[in-house]
Amino acid sequence: MIAFISGGARSGKSVHAEQLARQWQREHGGALVYLATASAPDAQADPEMASRIRRHRESRGEGWSNLEEPVHLDTVLGQVPSGAVVLIDCLTLWASQVLYTAGLDETRGLDIIDSLLAEARARDVSLVIVSNDINEGLPPQDAEVWRYLDFLMGVHRRVAQEADEVIQVMAGLPQCWKRPE
Amino acid sequence: MQLFIGGSRAGKRYAVTQRFDIGHWTTAGTDLDVENEPGGLRECRVVDGWSHWIETLLDQEPDDDRLRERLATRLDELLAWERSQRGEVVLIMLEMGRGIVPMDRSARRLRDLNGWLAQDAAARCERVWYVWNGLVKSLRF
Repeated sequence: MIAFISGGARSGKSVHAEQLARQWQREHGGALVYLATASAPDAQADPEMASRIRRHRESRGEGWSNLEEPVHLDTVLGQVPSGAVVLIDCLTLWASQVLYTAGLDETRGLDIIDSLLAEARARDVSLVIVSNDINEGLPPQDAEVWRYLDFLMGVHRRVAQEADEVIQVMAGLPQCWKRPE
Repeated sequence: MQLFIGGSRAGKRYAVTQRFDIGHWTTAGTDLDVENEPGGLRECRVVDGWSHWIETLLDQEPDDDRLRERLATRLDELLAWERSQRGEVVLIMLEMGRGIVPMDRSARRLRDLNGWLAQDAAARCERVWYVWNGLVKSLRF
C-alpha cells in the first residue's frame, strides 16, 4: 500500500501520517520505520530545526526505528525489511536537496521516486509519503523558485497517481481524494 | 459552463484534455471569433490565461470594482456564446490566494481580482472542479 498525504504548513499532515502508518502496522504487522529526509542537525548550530525534529519525535512515541536519507530514498529502502511500513517525511525538503545539494536534474529526481515506488511494491513495503502544498499562492517570479515548484509538483502528481490512498489535510482534518479499492 | 481551478502545475490542463474533446483553446481576453456550424456538433472551447489577462488590465483600469465588472462581463459573453452556439465552455483558472500577502501592490491587486474572478466564474458555472496534485474533485456538480 502507498499513501500520499499533503496539505499546508502545520495542517496536521505528519500526525495524520503517523496515525495511518500505525494503523497499517497494527493491521498487517511488520516493522514501523520513520524515514526522515532531513539529517538531525547539531542543536546549537540550528536550534529551530532541532526543535522541529524533537517535536516530531515526541509526537510519534514508541515503536519506531529511524532512518535518515536526504536524496536516495530508493537506495535506503534496501535497509528496510519486507512487510515494513515506512513513513517518509517530507518531499519538499527532499526535492530541494535533490536539486541543490546533490545537484541532480529533474529527470534523475523523478527516477528516484519511480524506483522507490516500484521497490516498495516489489518488496511488499508500505509507504506513507508526506509533502507540503506550496503551489496555491502567488506563482513565483524567480526562475529558480519556479523550477523548484515545477519539479516538486511533478513529483506530487506522480506519487498521487501511483498511490492507493491520497489525503489532503486541512486544520487537522483529513480530506480523502483517493481510497484503496 | 464548467470551471477547473487549482494551483500552479496542479495538472489542470491535463485534467481538461482527459475529459473533453476540445475544439478550440482560447486565451481569456481574445475574441470568440469562430461560430459553430449551424446544426453541427457541440463545440468545446477551453478558455485559460485569465491571470495573465488580469495582469495586462491592471494598469489600464485602476479601479478594482470596475475591473472585476469587466471580467464578469467576459464571463457573461462566454455564457451567452455557449447558449447561442449550443457549445460548451470550459474555464481554467489559477488558485493563487493561499500564500502570504504579497509586498507589491500590483501583485496584491492581481491576487484579489483573480479570487473575485473565480467566485464570479463559479457562480455562473453548473460544474466546478478542484484540481490538486493531478487529481480532480467536484466542488459543484
